[in-house]
Amino acid sequence: MARDRTQRPEAPRPDADGPDPDGTDPVRSWSSKKSSARAPALGLRGTWLFLWRQLTSMQTALILLMLLAIAAVPGSLYPQRSVNPTLTQQFLDENGRWGEILDTLGFFEVFSSPWFSAIYLLLFISLIGCIIPRVGVHLKQLRAKPPRTPSRLTRFTGHTRIELPGASADAVLDSAQRALKRSRYRTELREEKRSRSVSAERGLLRESGNLLFHISLVAVLVCIAGGSLTSYRGQITVVEGAGFSNSLTGYDSFEPGAWFDAEQMPPFQFTLEDFRAEYSLEENETTFGQPTSFEADVQVTTPGQEPRAQTIQVNRPLNVDGASMFLLGNGYAPEITLTDPEGTVVADGPLITVPLGDTGYTSQLVLKAPDAEPEQTAVVGFFLPTGTIDEQGPRSLYPDLLDPQVVVTVYQGDLGLDDGIPRNAYEVDVSQLEPLTEEGEDTPVLIQLRPGESVDLPDGSTLSVGDVKRYAAFDIAHNPFERWTLISALVAVAGLILSLFVPRRRVWARVSDGADGPVLEVAGLARSDDPDLERDVHALADRLRESHGKVDFTEVDPDPDAEQQDDTEQRNGAGDAGPQDEPERGRRD
Amino acid sequence: MIDQQLAEISNFAIVISVVLYVLALIGFGADLASTSQRRADERLAQQERAVAKATVGAVTGGTSATGTSATGSAGSPAGSGSVAGLPGSETSTAPRSMSAQNFAFLLTSAAAVLHVLGMVTRGIATARVPWANMYEFALSSTAVLIVGFLLFSLKRKELRVLGTFVVGLVLLTVLIAQTFWIVPAAQLTPSLQNSYWIVIHIGVAILATALSGLGAMVAVLQLLQARHEQGTLAQAKAGAEHPEHWGRFGHVLDRLPSSSVLEGLSFRIHSVAFVCWTFTLIFGAIWAREAWGRFWGWDPKEVWTFIIWVIYAAYLHARATGGFRGSRAAGIALLGFVAVVFNYTIVNTVINGLHSYSGM
Repeated sequence: MARDRTQRPEAPRPDADGPDPDGTDPVRSWSSKKSSARAPALGLRGTWLFLWRQLTSMQTALILLMLLAIAAVPGSLYPQRSVNPTLTQQFLDENGRWGEILDTLGFFEVFSSPWFSAIYLLLFISLIGCIIPRVGVHLKQLRAKPPRTPSRLTRFTGHTRIELPGASADAVLDSAQRALKRSRYRTELREEKRSRSVSAERGLLRESGNLLFHISLVAVLVCIAGGSLTSYRGQITVVEGAGFSNSLTGYDSFEPGAWFDAEQMPPFQFTLEDFRAEYSLEENETTFGQPTSFEADVQVTTPGQEPRAQTIQVNRPLNVDGASMFLLGNGYAPEITLTDPEGTVVADGPLITVPLGDTGYTSQLVLKAPDAEPEQTAVVGFFLPTGTIDEQGPRSLYPDLLDPQVVVTVYQGDLGLDDGIPRNAYEVDVSQLEPLTEEGEDTPVLIQLRPGESVDLPDGSTLSVGDVKRYAAFDIAHNPFERWTLISALVAVAGLILSLFVPRRRVWARVSDGADGPVLEVAGLARSDDPDLERDVHALADRLRESHGKVDFTEVDPDPDAEQQDDTEQRNGAGDAGPQDEPERGRRD
Repeated sequence: MIDQQLAEISNFAIVISVVLYVLALIGFGADLASTSQRRADERLAQQERAVAKATVGAVTGGTSATGTSATGSAGSPAGSGSVAGLPGSETSTAPRSMSAQNFAFLLTSAAAVLHVLGMVTRGIATARVPWANMYEFALSSTAVLIVGFLLFSLKRKELRVLGTFVVGLVLLTVLIAQTFWIVPAAQLTPSLQNSYWIVIHIGVAILATALSGLGAMVAVLQLLQARHEQGTLAQAKAGAEHPEHWGRFGHVLDRLPSSSVLEGLSFRIHSVAFVCWTFTLIFGAIWAREAWGRFWGWDPKEVWTFIIWVIYAAYLHARATGGFRGSRAAGIALLGFVAVVFNYTIVNTVINGLHSYSGM
């Protein structure tokens, strides 16, 4: 945004200076109250004004923009908690003291850190401080008439002088005005000492667009703030055949905004009927085992409506009133049954395993059986869709169920579930547990089971694996401000396009009396990058000559230097000298 | 699913186009060099004839800003005095049937046809848009760049002088893509399926990247030209009749438009690029909402696109700020391109994020 740099910081107003003699004037008493510690307060007011002017200046905006860009960089280089807390923890563990320092400085929450917030808030204050006065100026300008025609037109772009003997000055001016109006100029007929002229201006839309762009940016920020206060987002995992009913208790994790109200969660239910995954079998290093399709068939019930079936895919979320559900992950849930030595079934049913991220879907398996007697038991290991055990240990070669295996070790001891601290269901700390070993041996028993198989453990427990089901991981989210954010952003682009590509310019046509009758002069002034101005001015001149010139006699611009330069510029195809066109041309002459 | 034969045709077309680009680059380079040579010969002849005073009024083919600013409006700042940038009449001094420039232009056109053909066949082979991984994105954005350049310079022949730099940039990118980023033609991963946003979001991003590259190239030339103009002006002030600045390279620069013309061109390219980046961000946000359930999540790619956007916004502001116009603004624009390159290379290959579609 170009700011008027002619404004200087105002000197403190005199009425704020002197002590208030009687204290009757409410305004004065206000200012006197402010200046109770007189001298510093004066300085303060001046300082504030100065700072405000500085803040809303263009250079400050520029510096803040660059700072914003720089401040965002660490947000991509250091693992952000908001993006992936596990990676952040890993980084902290690996980097010790250095990690702690970075953490204190907010490098793992860059985008909510004080310094990042300070930059963008200052930027927006600066922006608001800049646009408010400009809106006023622009509104005035929209109502004002085009400025008066300069006395000497020869200095301006595309200046053309045409003698029109026998033509009527009124008619020429009239058709100039009509032609300009047709090209959407605002025009004004002006009487001058020895001539008359049409003064025309267009492109105020440029500034309108500029202001619209910046106001919309503020709107975007407001909408984002509103969204983060009122939105919610939660993660669920659903095994094939199971259902989910939307309430807080059903979520694995849930992140509400500060003003989130559980009442606003829409009551809907669904059942995951089927989950299908397809993987590439192409014998090719990069594509083998890559997923080609994920589909989740769900049966959705919303209150007062018939159940409906939908297939959720990546990029095809389920939308119900007030929430959307996105397919974000999947994995395997083998049915595992654990019977303790006393014959009690302590764990039964599909167990969600967490893929480790390799192509083959090697998945972490953790089964906790706190009710097992005589000791609490944990089954820890892997689920392998296409299993193998080689020198790299147990791993899966292909993501689909070609040779599903469960490879686990059994641990016993206190699982630490009774002290009331919430634990991650998919992790267990085995350092406090005793691995189950064969009688008289030290090495833990490695158990390898396929679906349908079962094994008796040395202590008398029984572990069996049933069918393998798939599960889907969904995010359920809602942001009431989403729509408004988008609308603001689109309005901002519209404003941006106007502010960049609408040329702002003035065009003048003057008719004065010459020796042989009326003489027409046409010229223009670019107030922005405007390579076409010259062409358009010439076109207007040609047109007026054709319709009014009885004798075809044109005199070229008497200023050969300027003309030649203009010509060259046009040949170069970029004859504009930028927004500061006027002063530069002045200098050249 | 994948038509391997077509995919091979695509690879072949790209390889041939690389060869043609190399030849075209040689052609454009020869053209620039020959002008500087011609210019030197001319000067020698002039000196031999001992012409008392170098008159500048008429701009002869291949002469330049330097003369004009030397005698014309000495004392005016660099830029205003050197408007005689592009001698479009160059061809008139070349009586041969085909100038090096025309030859290079034809070769570039042929290369571009093959380049686009390679892109299209890759798209048909995989039955999708040909911009789903780094390799394809690089090919597509360079194709847009070269086709855009050819279309613009079809009419405005004076732009062809920039051919060396455009073809150089395209060739470099294609070579890098062909060496480091190439992956076999493959189906889309599920995260890219079922969405027309891959056409829109990535399509606009390709356009934005191509324009950023072009803009950066013009900005570099602008900076060099500004230095060159200053140097020449200083020599002229010091009384040199034939200011010789930067030797042969200076002669090449003399053939290019003046720094103020380049500045205007760079601004126009960058403002379109900025709009494209804005759309990239917005469309990306819409897609992210459809795919990941949130429109913004500070994924590394999102962070860097944001950084690019902010830097280009700073560039546009700098252009309207006293003390920053011209070279400093151009510097900011170049910084923007550095961010574009970083976003494309490092963020794609090194930094872990949701936008991991490099195919490697």
